[in-house]
Order: sequence, then structure tokens, then C-alpha cells
Amino acid sequence: MAALIEVKNLQKYFKSAGGQVHAVDGVSFTIEKGETLGLVGESGCGKSTLGRTLIHLNEPTGGEMFYDGRDVTRLNTRQLTEFRKDVQMIFQDPFSSLDPRQTIQDIIEEPMRLATRMSKSELKEKTIELMDTVGIEKRLRQSYPHELDGGRRQRVGIARALALDPKFIVCDEPVSALDVSIQAQILNLLMDLQETRGLTYLFITHDMSVVKHISNHICVMYLGQMVEKSEKEELFDKPLHPYTKALLSAIPTTDIHHQKQRILLKGEIKSAINPGPGCRFASRCPYATEECRQGVQLKEVLPNHFVACNKVEEINGL
Amino acid sequence: MAENHQKEPLFSVRNLVVDYHSGDSIVHAVNGVSFDLAPGETLGLVGETGAGKTTIAKASLRILPEYSVERIEGEVFYDGKDVLKMNDHELRKLRGEHISMIFQDPMTALNPVKTVISQIAEGYKTHHNCSKAEANQVAIKMLEMVGIGADRAEEFPHQFSGGMKQRVVIALALACSPKVLIADEPTTALDVTIQAQVLDLIKSLRDELGTAMVLITHDLGIVAEVCDKVAVIYAGRIVESGTKEDIFDHPTHPYTKGLFAALPDLQKKVRRLSPIEGLPPDPCEERRCCDFYDRCPYKCGHCKSYDHTKAIEVSPGHFSRCWRTDATKEGE
Repeated sequence: MAALIEVKNLQKYFKSAGGQVHAVDGVSFTIEKGETLGLVGESGCGKSTLGRTLIHLNEPTGGEMFYDGRDVTRLNTRQLTEFRKDVQMIFQDPFSSLDPRQTIQDIIEEPMRLATRMSKSELKEKTIELMDTVGIEKRLRQSYPHELDGGRRQRVGIARALALDPKFIVCDEPVSALDVSIQAQILNLLMDLQETRGLTYLFITHDMSVVKHISNHICVMYLGQMVEKSEKEELFDKPLHPYTKALLSAIPTTDIHHQKQRILLKGEIKSAINPGPGCRFASRCPYATEECRQGVQLKEVLPNHFVACNKVEEINGL
Repeated sequence: MAENHQKEPLFSVRNLVVDYHSGDSIVHAVNGVSFDLAPGETLGLVGETGAGKTTIAKASLRILPEYSVERIEGEVFYDGKDVLKMNDHELRKLRGEHISMIFQDPMTALNPVKTVISQIAEGYKTHHNCSKAEANQVAIKMLEMVGIGADRAEEFPHQFSGGMKQRVVIALALACSPKVLIADEPTTALDVTIQAQVLDLIKSLRDELGTAMVLITHDLGIVAEVCDKVAVIYAGRIVESGTKEDIFDHPTHPYTKGLFAALPDLQKKVRRLSPIEGLPPDPCEERRCCDFYDRCPYKCGHCKSYDHTKAIEVSPGHFSRCWRTDATKEGE
């Protein structure tokens, strides 16, 4: 299998009143065709910025991104238009990501109207087909978003993202705003679509059980840096980075007879404004030493299992 | 658990009904909810968006916006007195001192233009009629209890992170050592590692102060961790209630079973999740049969004529509002 997405040392900084916000700082990964990479981390760790930069909604500050072998940052206007057809995004909040003054038909057909030369009747036909694919009743074609419940609204967002037959979709917390019973419907839909259309996903979420269900590989971020990346079963069975360990231990489980031992973190999250060198988790890490505050490198500790921690061998007895 | 049943309830809600008016229609938010809470006990109220969880909490403290409420009926007893019949003076004494609430969103629950110490001291001073200096001392003690140093007491809410703000809200709620604490989604706005810290704090403070607690959440994992008793709410009614063991080990109502099945499980590998098909009923419509009928995989002809307001005692203390308990048990 070939890599559809390849990211090398990607950086995205923003200017703010207090200095530079290092939202994404030196992230590298690849996503194979037809696979799902789960991107997890807590709020403010740069997950969404990374997703948006990847589909070129943000200009990266540094680093390289390749889509299907081509360098995305060096595309000319025409190539960029083509690229934009291939990559789409599903947004977190189906309540604010849809234009309240457009009908469902308008919302779904808009990308096709802008990027293709389809006639009105073709647009209508394709819209109905898309609505059928994502499971919205045809009769809702002329409804407005406010008339729909959250689950249906998210289906509209998915239909719109599928309109141009993309190959790669960034799903930015697509189920976080939904109730569990509806969440399961949307997750199943996304997985069905991936199977039938051979889609590649970057799935951004903060929910560990969701990410485990849907991903092939998982990448854990902390304050703009990648701290651990591996195949999903391995990450859950054998987390190596102290942050990943704490994160996994913090998930409340529904098993009332086997409550697990929590790793409670002390200290507050460091600011992403001018964070300086070194491991950003050091302020909360129980193992941190002076060396950690100087610098940290991402290493392949086990085959295909990358960890950014100076003490990884020591902590895990490797 | 057996002892708890014999304890006199400290706080109990009886047949609570709340209707709102919205435009031309009437929203039936809570349709006859009853539960008891003994001293030191923790009850989890679980349900999805719009099930009526927050309305129950706010009605118990009489802090629902009056302009939108069409009707409140039923009784809310605290220590033998009905909260719904109290006058303003009694209410003021009750709130904060006897029953207190932790709100969902720490970003909006605090006053942005007052320092955190003055917000905490304000309530204590009102209830204890003491000097400002004394109230400030208590406020600092409360802040230290939730892990915020005295040096930060004079700061404003915007200077704190989300997790710290929620800790301030907890300190605020516990300042007068209430007997009953209603926590409405106290960790929903927080990240999991911070959530773990806050839940740990709530648990240890509850055990230390012996507070009875109603924990409102949509997260079954949090219930498993914190609560003794559980009530599952669907469309403004408690569809199943019992001890934590009853609900987690032997869920009986089809909705409860559906909720557990729809959760992605970290331990089990499944190819596809089993969602609950369909949507919750429109709260504006009067319903004549079981609220879950349209979505229920176990429904049959008899469900339509069955009195849906009646609960069946499946085992001692474990109630389910579904008459087909035999059918739903077969799947286990």
C-alpha cells in the first residue's frame, strides 16, 4: 500500500498578543490509502489546527506535506483547486457548521455547483443520491438545518463532504456533539462509507473509546507535539509515553467490578505561547528531569511504535 | 446497600412534573419523576440531551426561569419540608446552605468581574452573618481544599484554566457545607485527565463531608465510578432505577440495554456498533404509551395498551418501566 498523506516535521505557529503560539510543532506521520489515522489529545493540543493545515486551510509555518506524492505547499492555483476536490472535512458541531439560511439541497449541492459544470437537474439528482447514501429522507430536501436533529444535521455535513467524491476526509470531532445512541449511528455510517468508497480518514477526537473503535493507527498529541504513535491495539495494550498512560488510565469505564488504578496528573498544562525547548509534558510528568526540559526526540522504540520521551526505556524497562 | 434502604431519605422528589411553554406549544420536560436520597448517598441521573436531567435539578432548587415555566407539580422534600412550597426567605436559607449546585459550564458559572475569593466569601457571609475577614478565611480554606493556593485567591476567573475554574465552582458550592449537592455534568466541559482530577476531588470531599449527592451526567463511565444508585431518564421519565450493580450487571429496560450496546467498548472488539435506531419522541406531544415504543426492539401489540406510568419491581429496589422484563432478560 502507498501512503496517501505524508507529513514531515509540520509546524504551524500563530501570532498572538503574548507571543507566538506553537499550535503544531514538528509533527510527522503517514496515512496509507484506505486507512484511518486517529488523532487524539486534549483541548488546545493542536489537533484541529493540524487537520486544517493538512487540507491547506492554513498555510504551514514550516515542514512538508505530501498528498499522493505531490508537495501540497508548492501547488499552483489550478492544482490547488484539484487538490481541494480530493480532500474534504467533516466538522465538529453540526449546529454551527451549516448555513442556517440554506436548504439541505443548497448545502449539499454547493460544492458541486462551485467545482463542476453540472446542470440543475444533475445537481438535484446527485443530491438525492447523496442524501440516500448518508440516510436522510428525500422529503427533507427543502428543509432548513434548524428543522433537523443533531444526527441528521451531521449526516448533511457528511453528504456535503462526499459531494465531490473525495479521497481523503478530515473528520474533526464528528460525533462529539452527539448523544451516544446517535453517535453510534454516525460512526457506523462513516465506517460503511470508508469500506464502499475506499476513503482515507484523519479522525480527530478526544474520546479514546471512539478512536479505538474507528482507527487503524493512533497518534497522541500533547500541546502541539506528537508524543506517541503506533498501531491501535499496541497503543492500548502497551502505552509507552507517560502522558498516554495517564490518558488511558483516566478514561472512566463502565465495568463496575474492575475499576482500574488511576494515574492522576499533578500540575497545570503549560501554555503553548513561546513554550521553549524540551518536552512540554515535563511540567506534569512524574519522571521529568532537567534533561527533559532541554530537549526531546521522537524515536522508534519498538517496530512502528514511535515515542517522544527521553526516559521511555527507563520507565518501561525496555 | 441494605442499610441504605432503611435510612430515612434526606432529600426526596415525588412525582415531579415540569412543563415549559415555547411558542404555541407546551414542552413536557419532566413527566412524574420520583427518587430518594439518603444522607451520604450518591445517585446518578443518566440520560441523553433533552431527557430532562437539568430541569429536575433546577426544579429541586426552584431556580427555573419563571417566565418559561408553564407548570410545576409534585413535591420536593428536603428534611421533611416541601421546597416547592417554601417562601422566599426559606428558599434563601435553603440554597447554598442546605442544597447546593455545581453547574455544568465553569466558564459561565462564575462572575467575570469579581475575584474568586469574594465570590466564595459572599455566600458564606450571607448565610453565617459573619465579618468579611472571617468569610475570606473560610474562602481561602475552601480554595486550598480544592488545590488552589492562597496566592491565587485574589485573581479573576479568566486567569484560571478550565479545570481550575471548575474547582473554584466546586469550592463555591461546598463553602457552606451543604447536606445535599447537585452536580450537573460537573466534568463535561473538561478534558479526561483533568476530569479524573476533578472526579477524584468530588469523591474525596463527599466522603470527607458526608454530603449526599445527585450526579447528573450522560457518561455511564462516570456513574460507574462515583455513584451508589442509578436512575436512567428517558423523555422526562425514569425508565429504570436501582443500585449501580442492578443497572450495570442486569440492565432490564430496553433503553438502558440500548445505551450500553451503543457505547464503543475499550475491551471488546466489534466490527460495527449497535445504535438505538430512531430518535427520542417530541417532548411537545402527549404520549399515550411507552415513550420508547417507536425505537424499541422488543415492542409488541400489548405495549400500546400497557399503562406506561407503572414501574415493575424486577428485584428488590430495582425498578423498570417495561412490562416485558422476561423478554429483555433472554438476551443476556
